[in-house]
Amino acid sequence: MTVRLRHFAAYDLQAALDIERASFPEPWSPVMFLGELRRSDRIWLVAEQAGGRVIGYGGVMIVGDEAHLMNLAVAAGERGSGVGRALYDELAARAARAGARRITLEVRDDNEAGVEFYRGAGLEVEGVRPGYYRSGTDALIMWGDLPEAEHRLPAAGTEVVLAIETSCDETAAAVMRGGTEVLSSVVASQVDFHARFGGVVPEIASRKHIEAIVGVVGEALDRAGLTLAHVDAIAVTHGPGLIGALVVGLAYAKGLALATGLPLVGVNHLEGHIFANMLIDPDITPPLVALVVSGGHTSLIHVPEWGVYHTLGETLDDAAGEAFDKVAKVLGLGYPGGPILSKLAAEGDPEAIAFPRAMMRSGDYRFSLSGLKTAVINHIRHEREAGREIDIPDLAASFQAAVVDVQVAKTVRAAEEHGVKTVCLAGGVAANPSLRETLRSALTEKGIALTVPEIGLCTDNAAMIAAAGTWRLRRGDLLGLDAEAVADLRLD
Amino acid sequence: MSAPSFVLETDSAAATRRAGGALGTAVHAGDVVILTGDLGAGKTVIAQGVASALGVSGHVTSPTFNILVVHRGSVGLAHFDLYRLERAEQLEDIDFWGVVEGDVVSLIEWGDRFPEALPADVLTLTLEITGDESRRIAVSASGERSSALAGAWRDACAGLDGVAVPGGRAPR
Repeated sequence: MTVRLRHFAAYDLQAALDIERASFPEPWSPVMFLGELRRSDRIWLVAEQAGGRVIGYGGVMIVGDEAHLMNLAVAAGERGSGVGRALYDELAARAARAGARRITLEVRDDNEAGVEFYRGAGLEVEGVRPGYYRSGTDALIMWGDLPEAEHRLPAAGTEVVLAIETSCDETAAAVMRGGTEVLSSVVASQVDFHARFGGVVPEIASRKHIEAIVGVVGEALDRAGLTLAHVDAIAVTHGPGLIGALVVGLAYAKGLALATGLPLVGVNHLEGHIFANMLIDPDITPPLVALVVSGGHTSLIHVPEWGVYHTLGETLDDAAGEAFDKVAKVLGLGYPGGPILSKLAAEGDPEAIAFPRAMMRSGDYRFSLSGLKTAVINHIRHEREAGREIDIPDLAASFQAAVVDVQVAKTVRAAEEHGVKTVCLAGGVAANPSLRETLRSALTEKGIALTVPEIGLCTDNAAMIAAAGTWRLRRGDLLGLDAEAVADLRLD
Repeated sequence: MSAPSFVLETDSAAATRRAGGALGTAVHAGDVVILTGDLGAGKTVIAQGVASALGVSGHVTSPTFNILVVHRGSVGLAHFDLYRLERAEQLEDIDFWGVVEGDVVSLIEWGDRFPEALPADVLTLTLEITGDESRRIAVSASGERSSALAGAWRDACAGLDGVAVPGGRAPR
């Protein structure tokens, strides 16, 4: 049975309480757990089985170079399988990265199995707190050395992160200080590489990423006025995306990390898109709902807290940006022609043609855009058969309205259902003026704020990867040099 | 060799998906199926039917943006969309041959863009829009393996709601 360790989120509380109550004679209360989870000097993890069942948890407090293990427990039927030790080892490793050198804890005098467990992890009893527990039981104080951290994390606030993004068509690199200050952001297609690097045009081909990446990373460092010696960590997109493109960025980032000894952080591309909103407003705080709409993605995501993502719904067929591009192609506007189509739409009547609003009343958060694409194609065919001219602006406006209506309705409903006061729009289609404005006015009516990244940070870029990467770095959440690119990497 | 070919007619998107499901019951690892036809002709709908028959969990979306998505089912399903590729040499960049020659069923949307680059023995489906929802699917095989697949698929389509196989069952 595979078990993964992940961040302890508020919704894990009930599972943890069940284990806590079955494990200790004086269990922690819900208030004690919640008080811990919201503190920034704590690291809390859960162990989760493949089916999503939480079977253990543990948390550590870090004060200077000392770590204090606050709690650690494993469900009764799962003990002895190494889950407890895995939790302890990961907490110890993260505490070490955060600067701790020694670790201490209290354990009940009568908890022989517990004392044995911590001895096995290298801790020794060094003292007693008489009558520490309410029942009068003594606490043994144990101490141990933490493993030498492979990487010591830089202080939060001034850390410089070099980020690399090659998940699809764009080769991009950025340098960021303190998680929100963009020192440079270079996207290969937006650079006059013909003059500087001899005609490299970024595209799908992994070979093109290979040709561009050295120049793009160098350009990002140059524009930031820094060298690798100033960088504290490397962040890289490790999925989802086109595998041949992802591996180029990841391999280059690993190479840099190996050569420099810097920590490597892996970022999910969609998480990066959501974090692009932090660059326009660093004070955005979850809970929030994010709508990520691009050429490859259409996802509605509930974010109860940073790092915790629940995908509420995705497209069942075509992504929103893809639908724009394909309809533009059918109209003879070239491919990809989404941006041209939305410009033409501004001149047309959005009510000229009643295109279907697919999944509008499905009662869930899934999207379907393939049927709309087919409806547009059928409309064009019928008009041509009838010998009528097609009014392209009217068609573009009516198509766009059908896309936007569904996106807006579902996003507003998701925000209301989850009781959030903030919605983040992200992805290339966030640049669509109609979507931005319609969504903003619908949300404002409900008292919900909308944030949208700058246009240049809606489409694929590395600044957003740097922002999410800095956040992960601060949590000690590093990627091993043996990590592989994952084409279908999930956000949840 | 003479390639048996036949034509399927479907009367709705659901029927096109059912035809895809029947294809999914007939395929084996190593089979290569080319899907051609205009935008909106139903290539991804066929792929969704195949995926569902292979027990792929999760949604099979259009792979236009990612070009290749490999799904895990009772056998692996490699779903390609070559729409965005410009030259056959770009196939090398996505490890096209490495994937197609692997232990998977390959469905290749817009595979007709690079006919010279395709394997010799493939089943080609040409989808044509005949009405708002109705489609005509011309099926042709280019070798022994794909001929066997064509025959098995044709048999599997018999009696499917909304799927007509003009000419009846394949001769044995």
